[in-house]
Amino acid sequence: MEKKTKLQWLRSNLDGNGWLYILSLFGVAVYSIMQLTVPFVSREIVDVFLTSDDAAANMANRRDYFFFLIFAMVGLTLLRTTIVYLSAMGCEKVSQGALYKIRTYLFNKIEHQDMNFFNTYRTGDLMTRLTGDLDAIRHMIAWVLKSCIESIFLVGATSIYFFIMDWRLALAILALAPVMLWIIILFKNKVKLRHRDLREKFANLNTDAQENISGNRVVKAFAREDYEIEKFDKANVEYSTYSKKTAMTWLEYFPYVQIVAELMPIVLLVFGGILIINKQMTPGEFVAFSGLCWAIANPMRNMGGIVNEFQRFNAAAAKVMEIYYSEPKIVDKENAIELKERVQGKIEFKNVSFKYEDGKLPVLNDVSFTVNPGETVAIMGETGCGKTSLINLIPRFYEPTSGEVLIDGINVSDIKLHDLRCSIGLASQDVLLYSDSIDGNIAYGNLRLSLEEVMKYAKYSQAAEFIQKMPERYDTIIGERGVGLSGGQKQRISLARALAVAPPILILDDTTSAVDMETEKEIQHALKSLDFECTKLIIAQRISTTKACDKILVLKDGRIVEEGSHDELVAKGGYYCSLVKLQTGEEVVA
Amino acid sequence: MSRKNTYREDEVLETPFELKHLLRAGEYIKRQKKGMIIAFLLSAVSGVMALFTPKITQQALDVAIPDSNVKLLIRLAFILILTNAVSIIFATIRSRMMVDVSNRIILDIRRDLFSHLQKLSFKYFDDRPHGKILIRVVNYVNSVSDILSNGLISVILETLNLIFIVVFMFLTDVKLAIVILFGVPVLAAFLFWIKNKQRVAWQQVSNKNSNLNAYLQENITGTRITQIFAREEENSNTFAELSDRCRKTWMKAVSYNNLVWPGIDNIAVAIRACIFVFGLVVFGHGNTSLGVILAMSSYASRFWQPIMNLGNIFNSFLNNMAYLERIFETMDAEILVDDAEDAKELPPIKGEVVFENVDFAYEKGKDVLKNISFKVNPGESVALVGPTGAGKSTIVNLVSRFYNVDEGRVLIDGNDISKVTLKSLRSQMGIMLQDSFIFSGTIEDNIRYGKLDATEEEIVKASKTVCADEFINRFPDAYKTEVKERGSILSQGQKQLVSFARTLISDPAILVLDEATSSIDVQTEKALQQGLNAMLKGRTSFIIAHRLSTIRNCDKIMYIDDGGIAECGNHDELMAKKGLYYKLYTSQLEE
Repeated sequence: MEKKTKLQWLRSNLDGNGWLYILSLFGVAVYSIMQLTVPFVSREIVDVFLTSDDAAANMANRRDYFFFLIFAMVGLTLLRTTIVYLSAMGCEKVSQGALYKIRTYLFNKIEHQDMNFFNTYRTGDLMTRLTGDLDAIRHMIAWVLKSCIESIFLVGATSIYFFIMDWRLALAILALAPVMLWIIILFKNKVKLRHRDLREKFANLNTDAQENISGNRVVKAFAREDYEIEKFDKANVEYSTYSKKTAMTWLEYFPYVQIVAELMPIVLLVFGGILIINKQMTPGEFVAFSGLCWAIANPMRNMGGIVNEFQRFNAAAAKVMEIYYSEPKIVDKENAIELKERVQGKIEFKNVSFKYEDGKLPVLNDVSFTVNPGETVAIMGETGCGKTSLINLIPRFYEPTSGEVLIDGINVSDIKLHDLRCSIGLASQDVLLYSDSIDGNIAYGNLRLSLEEVMKYAKYSQAAEFIQKMPERYDTIIGERGVGLSGGQKQRISLARALAVAPPILILDDTTSAVDMETEKEIQHALKSLDFECTKLIIAQRISTTKACDKILVLKDGRIVEEGSHDELVAKGGYYCSLVKLQTGEEVVA
Repeated sequence: MSRKNTYREDEVLETPFELKHLLRAGEYIKRQKKGMIIAFLLSAVSGVMALFTPKITQQALDVAIPDSNVKLLIRLAFILILTNAVSIIFATIRSRMMVDVSNRIILDIRRDLFSHLQKLSFKYFDDRPHGKILIRVVNYVNSVSDILSNGLISVILETLNLIFIVVFMFLTDVKLAIVILFGVPVLAAFLFWIKNKQRVAWQQVSNKNSNLNAYLQENITGTRITQIFAREEENSNTFAELSDRCRKTWMKAVSYNNLVWPGIDNIAVAIRACIFVFGLVVFGHGNTSLGVILAMSSYASRFWQPIMNLGNIFNSFLNNMAYLERIFETMDAEILVDDAEDAKELPPIKGEVVFENVDFAYEKGKDVLKNISFKVNPGESVALVGPTGAGKSTIVNLVSRFYNVDEGRVLIDGNDISKVTLKSLRSQMGIMLQDSFIFSGTIEDNIRYGKLDATEEEIVKASKTVCADEFINRFPDAYKTEVKERGSILSQGQKQLVSFARTLISDPAILVLDEATSSIDVQTEKALQQGLNAMLKGRTSFIIAHRLSTIRNCDKIMYIDDGGIAECGNHDELMAKKGLYYKLYTSQLEE
């Protein structure tokens, strides 16, 4: 997709409503011009039936014309306001259509982003883009452009009318317009930077509030409420200062704009007065001029506001377009392989090395191993040795720096992402549940799951018992991130969620760490008797988990240092053996 | 049970539309009284100055031009420029003041809202999506600022303006004035009708926006889960549906909004037409003088201007009322755990903890703890074991008074903890929760959270004690490493170590470790144990863990089952008893 300018981009997102928009803006132009009709008709009434020398006679003889004018006045207003309403609604519809289109597009885009993206953009920042910034874009379509057209046509029509009446006077008044334009251009450049800064401060405010709300438990645990309030206050004050600065920028220019606008009737008075004195103009014409002076001055005044909004749009659109055009690095290759049948579940790592983009040290170093279909393999190792990074390579959350990860002999980077990930059930370390029912959380990966099936998987993960004890059982709503549940309960729901997709490859990243011993035993037992075939890759700390595995891999500083079955490794007497001793209470011997 | 809220449900607004919201908003405005009054006076002066314009213009038209007095004309023009300039300068100063006032109002409301949020208990945050709380703090507060600041002044000015015009109208011609005023009931009926429609419509908009926001936030944080379950498409559909609802409610709300101006406009023009008809035809041509008709039609057009402006203010007032209600609703959310009125400072803790017949339920009728009593001596370490969900975390949550007990008392050194200030209680306790939340910022910042004035040496020392020093130093920036949002660059075990150091550095008198080491590997944990032992010395501590190696050395082990203490004693005693603990212990050993 080639880069477009902001307005081109906006146009491309009007979503088939382009003609409606043109029609609506045409309506805006029409009613702007029609604003001149009521003054025109009233003037005619005043001229003919009030001020003219034979006003009384006219009233008696031309009563029809009088009522025609009265009805014209009311009728034209009715027509005009109808157009006002319709075009305003048209603009709203178009703007909402565009908002909808851009918003859903962005959401979709974010959903497909890789982990690097989320390391770059904070949640609060993304939230700002999808709410406040999008609103500035909506406002652009619904109001800013509309007001712009309104002003241009009102000024244009009035100018023409003025020129027809008296070109000299018209010229004198309109001579002020370039001055006004110049002031506004100066303002435009200055306010641009202000909006960019303000937007930044707003995103900071959003992020600070968001982090405080998510971390409310820690805040309370440390009784840091005052500190948090102080910290937030800083962001709050900073945002306020910038928002003040932005508003003040306009107020720096406002007096000049206002003066120029007020000069218009004064110029009219002096210049028109001289014309009248020189008998080059009638008082009636003069009254007509002064009666319409607002139609030039007001739009000029409004230009400041429009320009301001325009710059707000600019700042916001830049931020939104950044996400709009951002491309994830991890995507389907051309001719990516579709997995038509259930995979067998063979996992191979061939000389895989990996390091994070911004990291200097390698996380994985020349790792090779094979897991055969149906096998259960445990991965052990010290905190931070690369276990989680290793399993993240299988569903292609990251890509190896060198080497290959294969499933059933196919390189994972050649497989369609959707198919690849559908074949993998992963219960991650950091349990993230949604504020939804337990049923909804377990069936997250498989929406067509019946309640019976949900219950079956809950039973596998030993969650059924505590769920049954809850007042609304499977319909119980659990809070965001599953708060309100204990750590072990969360983990079991997350495990049930991973099992519920009946994946050919199941990856458990320390999923039972917060589960008590006995329950864990039950889980291990249940995992052996699942009603679907699957290869299991388990990160675990406990010997009770790893003991029955077909193979155990011990990672140290990104390399596999031990590999074999429980008995083999115990016999070998290395790291694993020392763990066994430690956990079975024989550390005295070790 | 107050059902928890999700992105699918609209929040029920518990407080109906009442004058009290307005009065309450008035409190915030009142704080800016000085600025508001000055701004008001400036507006008045600037308005009066502007009134000179027609007078001077009239002078020019009636005297200077007929007399062909160009000199006078130019002199009058200069006076005009002068009065206008003064008027503009005053207006500018007023606007500057109002910018200041409105920003102060936002600042105050947001500050109060945020401060109140800090006092709310876990339950509030657990019961609703965080996105819904966020949108109130950030977006809604911004929305209401303008109406609260400029709104009030404009209402006063426009009303005064209106009164002046009405008075002038009656002074000029009573009959025509009555004709004009006939428009008022029509207008009132129109506004009344539309007002009710609008209020409901805008509440819907705020509900749907709130839902969308909640869904958005959860999905941004949970994208990895979405991807692993390949649910991108379903989620996009849900999001599209939520967006569509936003769109529909918005369209409905603006369809009323957009009616207001055209409605007023039509009424205004109709009345103007009436003046001509009545003045020229009904009252008989020539009975009403030319000057009167011209003046009245000019007044009439001025009469509608303030009404239109008031209509406009009214409009945005209604839009924002829905937001204001949400903000105040949050500010009114009950503080479940708060300092008692006569709360005292808890003196430095020695460490005796006593539970006296404590009952506790998260929801009425579902007892989690039933009549629990126990005593922990100063310096003792207590391990809580038992099945998940038995109530272990609940017990430690009660010690820190994250919840209030339903029956019985919790005493620390003989002080009922419900009678001491929360701050003095919690600042003496070190609590490590299951969810080791890490803030964005550097590792150092995160550890310092436990003790804000900690020196670098102290931070390194704490990290060394919990064996975090080694991995921290492996990062190129060591302690200055930015951990990103939620500490995403750290592994789960590393997060726990950092959070451990954070707790340790706060030098607590009572230590609570709730699954603090679950994600730390056994080897590291063993090393950690030495530091931990040193740390536990002289401090009362509560430890919840599943690993028996952690538990075995504790002075006291309590087996919690089904909301009660099933067994209590030290390791040897409980092993000798051959009960539940014995079973648990041997089941791990037999592996």
